[in-house]
Amino acid sequence: MKDSKRNIAIVGLGVTKFGELFHQSYDDLVRDAATQAVNDAGITLDEVQGAWLSTAFPEIGVFKGRSGMDLVEPLNLYGIPVTRVSNFCASGADAIRNAANALAAGECDVAMALGVEKLRDRSPQDSIVKMMVELSHPYFQKGFTAAGTFAVYAKRIMHEYGLTREDIANISVKNHYHGTLNEKAHHRVACSMEQVLGSPMVADPLTVMDSCPTTDGAACVIMVRSEDVDKSKHRPVYVDGIGLSISTGWDLPFFDPKHDFLSFQATKDAAAMAYKQAGITKPIDEIDLVEVHDCFSIVELLTYEDLGLCKQGEAKDMIRGKATQLGGEIPVNVSGGLLSCGHPVGATGVRMVVEIASHLRGTAGDRQVVGAKRGVSHNIGGPGAIASVIVLNNEN
Amino acid sequence: MSFIKEYKVAIPKFRITDKVLHPRLGRKGQHAICYTDEDIITLAFQAASQLNLATRNSEIDAVLFATTSPVFKNRYHASFVADLLGLNQGILCLDFGTSARAGTDALIMADKLVHSSGFKNVLLIASEVYYPKIGNETRAAFGHAAVAMVVSNEKGIAEITNTKSFSSALAEEFKYKGSSIQYDARFARTEGFKNNLGLALNESDFRAKEVAHVILHSPYAKLAFGQLIKAGFDLEAQLRKDDVEPSIGNTGACHALVLMINAIENGKGNVLIFDYLNGTNVISLSTKEKSTSNIQHSKSTIGHPISEIESYQDYLQLRKQGKFTSKGYTSVEIFSSEMISEREKNSLVHLHGYECAKCGTVYFVKAVRCNSCHHEELNQKQLQKTGVVYSVTSEYYFPNSFAPTNMVIIDLDGGGRMTVQQTDDMFPTEDNTLRIGDKVSLVYRKMMENDNKPNYFWKCVKNERR
Repeated sequence: MKDSKRNIAIVGLGVTKFGELFHQSYDDLVRDAATQAVNDAGITLDEVQGAWLSTAFPEIGVFKGRSGMDLVEPLNLYGIPVTRVSNFCASGADAIRNAANALAAGECDVAMALGVEKLRDRSPQDSIVKMMVELSHPYFQKGFTAAGTFAVYAKRIMHEYGLTREDIANISVKNHYHGTLNEKAHHRVACSMEQVLGSPMVADPLTVMDSCPTTDGAACVIMVRSEDVDKSKHRPVYVDGIGLSISTGWDLPFFDPKHDFLSFQATKDAAAMAYKQAGITKPIDEIDLVEVHDCFSIVELLTYEDLGLCKQGEAKDMIRGKATQLGGEIPVNVSGGLLSCGHPVGATGVRMVVEIASHLRGTAGDRQVVGAKRGVSHNIGGPGAIASVIVLNNEN
Repeated sequence: MSFIKEYKVAIPKFRITDKVLHPRLGRKGQHAICYTDEDIITLAFQAASQLNLATRNSEIDAVLFATTSPVFKNRYHASFVADLLGLNQGILCLDFGTSARAGTDALIMADKLVHSSGFKNVLLIASEVYYPKIGNETRAAFGHAAVAMVVSNEKGIAEITNTKSFSSALAEEFKYKGSSIQYDARFARTEGFKNNLGLALNESDFRAKEVAHVILHSPYAKLAFGQLIKAGFDLEAQLRKDDVEPSIGNTGACHALVLMINAIENGKGNVLIFDYLNGTNVISLSTKEKSTSNIQHSKSTIGHPISEIESYQDYLQLRKQGKFTSKGYTSVEIFSSEMISEREKNSLVHLHGYECAKCGTVYFVKAVRCNSCHHEELNQKQLQKTGVVYSVTSEYYFPNSFAPTNMVIIDLDGGGRMTVQQTDDMFPTEDNTLRIGDKVSLVYRKMMENDNKPNYFWKCVKNERR
């Protein structure tokens, strides 16, 4: 069962502008994304029979997103089952997974998965960093910010595989260029290698330009079983595979002598599940585009290897050969990635699925990957602990 | 009879000179000062944890802790440090702290406990982290250090041949309800210091000619040279100059003990110590060549590589560890749980890890089964405090007095992995820049400086090149 497709289709897409949305509340974002998705699917809110809300950090905003209730209230969507999903940066993808499972199980016929995060109601220093200082274990990992937990991977990989600082920075240059093509991205400014290397250091070797911004945003999809797709109004995209794996802990990687800081086992495990369901055996030949979780530039590089797009230690060749640029062999993060779009944590996974789906529909505009038939979205959360991989196809 | 069985001295790495503190006075003094994350507890632990006996908990039956710069009130420092050392609960733990004589007060008590009360091994710790008021540094003697020694009924480095204390009602400088009081200097020093020291010289049991080293520890020592000569001492030959103070400052409650150790390390013979402050403690020791040659006798840390503070501003940050405003230093609210610390102290403090019985992988954090081979039998294993850097990063956005915070992933010698902050790294130099493969050692420090709750954990320092 776990190795077979769920036969689910995504029929409605919605995504808000991502950015510092000082004039929009959490509820405004929910309404914006949900309305777009419902309209895109050609349905009304009354037809939604079950919903999953993804918000990762309610305590950073105004305590919104602690339960499914915070999706129901702004939409007046009362009287149906709604659950809040929280799984770090894979929260959005997990909302989609849960919706797919409920559809497959027959709990509902039309499901909504909506991710939303309101991070800019506090200053960045008052948000996740403060949480790490004041709330986490008094001793374990004290001193790390999110950037640092990935910087130690960068240091080790540079040491082992001859990856250069410029290789890492090239990810940022590429994705910021892609971001100029995405009207909904937080940052729409291209940058040079010198700018990446010269921007303020965050966690050695990663600079500000290697790091995604803290961003507000929401994204939403409407899902049905494939057999219920109505081609007269839907432009469906099919879910070929969904994998999610927690493959290490929050603290464990930093205290486990076998953890090599060279790859994310969670990504490998999640990809194996999703690829099996989708029947993918040679990812580089069978996938047309990928959205990966480039919260920090180094993560995208590692993920090339973990997703099987190249062999271990060869990611540097992919970025040097421009294989992952728009127009290359396998474009990665043509949306601009998290580096340009920003990272409203709970929304990101849903936004990436919306991005892939729009390419498969052929509606991605200036950044359209021409002829894209199959795409993959990837998230990684915690210090590399949890990953989600979703394979989408424009044919059933 | 009682003996000083072994001892260790801990002195912080950092020094501030009088030249930086007060450039126009032209003084040449120097003071050892703590790094932001050190205090009397970490210094005490650093000294005591290196003792052989202190780590064999069943053999210590009392802990005496001396300081004039307590971090606790209504909580015994002796008990706190005993717990860090893994000593048994229920042993005698006492604090001494009325004056800078506290160190020798505790030594006299240790001698009495062993000599007359049947105690076997008394752990004596003196630890001092005193700072004068800002701007007043040149008027007060200060220096930070800790001394730990075991006073035992078994033969050791030195025999304590006699201890005696002479009380005095007169104090030259003291505090009353928080205010500093100074009596007329000539009256107080004549009627107080000179009289009391005279009493001690008259009534103590020593033969001047048989003493190799005389130590007189008192702010007014120079006034008493005549009295010492009258008592039969040859100042030139017998009176030990305080050659510790110029390099680390006067270390308060530690200082008489530091001088004593310095005398022991500089030759055999009888040592006679007068430690005066509002009363005189007299201690006679005897060191014989044959007893010093076959005991485990390690040198103190005086003379190890040091780091000089270059500006008064750096000194200010170092001494109060945080943001300095017109209202003083702000402290940091940090989540610190007594329950977690108590529940997990075997691992958090004592570094008890777990070794897989099947594949031998060692874990610092306990798990229900081995993460490598899934075997369920894990045996307790004592982790070592040295290791090699596996990866490292510098965090520029973690709140810290001296950004960046260097985070270091360490593969411990003998197995296990720890991830901790680096410390003593305020001034980046080649000697404290960490790279993959560098050798490091764990040290016990405060997690967050300038906190408002105790929060001690392990950090690391780069090993010195030898």
